[in-house]
Amino acid sequence: MIDGFNIIHCGVGGQGVVLMANILGRACAASGLRVISGELHGLSQRSGSVHVHQRIGDRARSPLIPYGECDAVLALEPVEALRYGHFLKRGGTVITSMRAIHPPSETLMLVKGEDERYMEYEDVSAALLSAGMALYGIDALGIATETGEPQAENVAMVGAICALPGFPVAKDAVISAIRDSVPSKAMEANLVSFEKGYERLSKDLRKL
Amino acid sequence: MITMSPYDIMAPSAQRAYMMANEAIVRACLESDVKVFASYPGSPTTEILDTFERICNDMDVRMDISANEKVALETAVGAAMVGCRSFCSMKSVGMNVASDALYVMAYTGVRSGCVVLLADDPHAHSSQSEQDGRWYGYTSYLPMLDPSDPQEAYDMVKFAFALSERFETIVLVRTTTRINHQSAIIETSEMKRTPFSKVVWKDNRRNYSAVGELARKGKLRLLETLERIREHTRMTPFNRVEHFDGEDLRKGDPSAEDRYSFGIATSGVSYHHVVEALMRLGVKARILKLGMINPVPRDLISGFLEGLDDLLVVEELSPYLETFISSMAQGGYPNLKIHGKGTGHISEYSELDIPIVQSAISALTGAVIPFDHLDHMERMKELSRNIPPRPPVFCAGCPHRGTFTALRMALGDKGKVFLSNDIGCYTMLVLPPFSWSDSQLCMGSSLGIAAGVDLAAGEDVVSVIGDSTFFHAGLPGLVNAVHNGHDLTLLILDNSVTAMTGQQSHPGTEDAAGGRKGVKLSIEGVLKGLGVTDITVLNAFEIRKNIKPMKEALSRQGVRAIISRGECALYHFRRYRRSGARTVPFFIDTEKCKRPYNCIKDFMCPAISIGNDMIPVISPEICVGCGECAQLCGFGSIRSTAVLKGGEDRAYYTPEDYQDLQRSLREKREVVQ
Repeated sequence: MIDGFNIIHCGVGGQGVVLMANILGRACAASGLRVISGELHGLSQRSGSVHVHQRIGDRARSPLIPYGECDAVLALEPVEALRYGHFLKRGGTVITSMRAIHPPSETLMLVKGEDERYMEYEDVSAALLSAGMALYGIDALGIATETGEPQAENVAMVGAICALPGFPVAKDAVISAIRDSVPSKAMEANLVSFEKGYERLSKDLRKL
Repeated sequence: MITMSPYDIMAPSAQRAYMMANEAIVRACLESDVKVFASYPGSPTTEILDTFERICNDMDVRMDISANEKVALETAVGAAMVGCRSFCSMKSVGMNVASDALYVMAYTGVRSGCVVLLADDPHAHSSQSEQDGRWYGYTSYLPMLDPSDPQEAYDMVKFAFALSERFETIVLVRTTTRINHQSAIIETSEMKRTPFSKVVWKDNRRNYSAVGELARKGKLRLLETLERIREHTRMTPFNRVEHFDGEDLRKGDPSAEDRYSFGIATSGVSYHHVVEALMRLGVKARILKLGMINPVPRDLISGFLEGLDDLLVVEELSPYLETFISSMAQGGYPNLKIHGKGTGHISEYSELDIPIVQSAISALTGAVIPFDHLDHMERMKELSRNIPPRPPVFCAGCPHRGTFTALRMALGDKGKVFLSNDIGCYTMLVLPPFSWSDSQLCMGSSLGIAAGVDLAAGEDVVSVIGDSTFFHAGLPGLVNAVHNGHDLTLLILDNSVTAMTGQQSHPGTEDAAGGRKGVKLSIEGVLKGLGVTDITVLNAFEIRKNIKPMKEALSRQGVRAIISRGECALYHFRRYRRSGARTVPFFIDTEKCKRPYNCIKDFMCPAISIGNDMIPVISPEICVGCGECAQLCGFGSIRSTAVLKGGEDRAYYTPEDYQDLQRSLREKREVVQ
């Protein structure tokens, strides 16, 4: 196994997955950490599955994280977290927003009677825990909405991952990167979302 | 200060900044004092165009978003012919359109630096084929560079300009999706730009014609230039030998007494998969890393093969390097065994990654794989086996969903026509819920295919094409259909922008590149000029109303054009929100809903899901109030939320409507008070 920290950022098109990765990427650059990120979005600009492979550390060269070598999945949507679960290493970490966004194809299966109910956070949670992953569900939309800027859901998630023990990027560097990445009128809300996300995960960790 | 704002790309000083390869490529162009840029958008190169568009006014770069890739290439080369440095970027399949010009331009050369970037898409993430663009370099006799990461993409674009200027030839840079869409920390240099001024052609005059004798002379000059370039680039650090000593990557060859019998030849992103695979396996190997892939460095390759028993060639798609190396090895190295595509160790299908390369190296060297990635993936995939897929869908408020719903209703049975589809967001017609397209090939082919189907099949043909694609490659097919008297219904989806690649301008828009005022070509005017007399114009959002005129057009003879007009939702609502207006979503009246699910079946809007008691609900944060779904409900249960506040039950509010709505609500409140 290679030293370094591998993250898969994922979510639904339009949620700000790429910005999430860019904030951490910029923070790495500012703190002298080597980082490479590869983004991939399919044909859809909205509502499709989006993910970014991000690799922090001196030995990372390939833009693709090998299956089983991802340290953390940072997800804006729980079903997407599970979709990329096969990249996680044994005992890897999943930090996900708890709000499921149901794709229209799943809704169609429901009305056709091919499925009984939607897949929800609880289903994802059960699957990931049974595989031995460390899971943290965050009410990121709730946090962001409280700040008056629901769009800041992604920045709340960035705050959460920064609270992970041993996370290689310093919190201050991430805050500076947010200042460089977010439009000024939404700045305050984003910074508050970041702190709330950070506190939320810190609190979950203390419970363990 | 490290940011990814446009300021970075324009900063005069050298810097280390985190940026996407596509942005680093633009920075390299600016440092190379590029004056003219032309392109047609296409993934994975679109961010190059978008970045140029952001900075072209500040940096005084003269820029066109061209009608298609051939015109873009001709524009860039035209500028370089008269003495202006130019750059042009396109996706893999774009080069197919441009290549007619490319092969001749190789003969005539250019006066000033001209670099052309083409981006392949192994795995066809966002393309209709996995074609290997490296052969364009070889078959056109043009020099070609193949970067392995974003830093090298930046370095190579700068090198390409120097090479182009020195040898007065176009230089090609070939990337892949994993390079273009990769972000990394890029070390840039100082930027000194000279002011733009128009060149005087008569001072630079020379003849750029190629036919017969002139073409033969051009070909001889080209062959000679290519050999001079081979000699000139013999020592380029982009081509190099390295070795992995079991622990680390080292420069050059191992010491003479330490014989390595296993070697790997590679280029592009595969190089990094190779190094990481070796790190995991701890295998000793010599590595030939090629960056200049046309002309290939023959001396370096020969020297590298010396002493090897086994060579693995690691490259994506076709056996390009493998073909050259195998032909060079014949005779000279009878004991050398070459592995790769030919032996089945590396597939010609899709992309490579560390696990694939690791397996190939392990199979050849017997090295034990310390961690079986593929086995891990198989076991973990079990977890996600039953999760719902999330394929791309038409956006909430997309005009295409309405157009196709009306078309299907007008036809009754969608199977009774040949549906000839084209390239754009509407390509998603082939996916659920419509699952409808008999063919969907390449830009503009909806019309050419229709001619053949009309000649050969008894069924009617419906061609579907978007506005940007219509101007890009649809016109010759239409001229052909009109002239040859074909029977076809041409459905033109006019959503006002090149939507799929991120809403760029095109010949049918008022704006041109960089916000410059353009001349908006009227689609109706073009149709009339090309001899189409049967033209129907529809509002894409009026599903019910459009069924009858569609039916009528479908039943007539000749070329019947239907223009279904409605702005791209992303484009429309971005401007709408910027103007200060807010969207007015629809809602479902649970009392009235009888749950026939017309708004879900065959419609699949991302704003509609199932709520309590299996009654559909509309998510107000996703719904933009296009009102298409309301027209499908037989019970009138889908209505605008405006009615809840005393407003009018209508779809698709404009900024002006919204201001009126706000005013009337205010007045009502005042009356109540």
